[in-house]
Amino acid sequence: MKWVAADVEMYQKAAEYVDTAVIPLMPVSFGEDMKQNASMAEFVGILTGQIEKQFKGRIFLLPGFVYIKGNEGSLKALQEWENTLLDKQFKHVFYVTSDSSWRHHEKELSGDLLWLPSLPLENMQEQQKVSIVDDQVKQLLSLFTEKWQDE
Amino acid sequence: MSKHRVSRRQFLNYTLTGVGGFMAAGMLMPMVRFAVDPVLKGEDAGDFIATPLKVADITNEPQKVNFTFTQKDAWYESEETGTAWIFKNEEGKVIALSPVCKHLGCVVDWNTDKKNQNRFFCPCHYGLYEKDGTNVPGTPPLAPLDVYPTKEKDGFIYVGKAEPRKGA
Repeated sequence: MKWVAADVEMYQKAAEYVDTAVIPLMPVSFGEDMKQNASMAEFVGILTGQIEKQFKGRIFLLPGFVYIKGNEGSLKALQEWENTLLDKQFKHVFYVTSDSSWRHHEKELSGDLLWLPSLPLENMQEQQKVSIVDDQVKQLLSLFTEKWQDE
Repeated sequence: MSKHRVSRRQFLNYTLTGVGGFMAAGMLMPMVRFAVDPVLKGEDAGDFIATPLKVADITNEPQKVNFTFTQKDAWYESEETGTAWIFKNEEGKVIALSPVCKHLGCVVDWNTDKKNQNRFFCPCHYGLYEKDGTNVPGTPPLAPLDVYPTKEKDGFIYVGKAEPRKGA
């Protein structure tokens, strides 16, 4: 489910079935790495969109967590998100990002961090893009099902 | 010189008629084309969407087939990918099932749960469907998988809009 009115309506009827929240982490900066950060946000957005499509009934895809790259407050802000989410319905929280700086904070978060290097999708052909993203998505899907089976 | 002399007046008449005719045809042809366009389109498969699956390649085992179509959603027109599970049933009839779980809309897979061979399996809440799409009682889904109407054309399978069925 996505953060849109129609899906939220569905969520409210079936909240007990939706126990996993997914948050894309998207960095923003205006320095030299501007393009790289945009590419990360784009890639993570597409990836999480595809995951949501596959697991629509059990995953709630939240709007992206946008932060200024290098800002020290973002970890705290994310922890607040986490507390809110785990407090309510959600049992699992997954973060999907291409920003490697989160890997240093993995232990400080109770959710699972899925880090993938971003791919330069803007230079690819349509077909190639789809098959590469599909491949990545497939690998991520198994991480979700494994987590669910561990319960 | 031939016996038939063409006068200056005749020559001009012929050329003018010829050139004028071409010009008129050039203007009329696109108009006629526009007028009969719906007829020409009628030969297309209508609302049916072509899949890359050949009729000859359909087996008794459900195959996952992706097809693309354009979807208009208020402001955006996007290229969407649809999926169908296509197979032949015992009577040799071609069946195309929608992969969208009737419980909460996850995507079901064929034969992925080891405990339930030859069934469609939903990884989200462990919903199960028989091969013909009927939901297995006792699992979360309350209705069978939607069915696509199918059509054969030029050796390929075309699918229409998925239709719901009555629950088991």
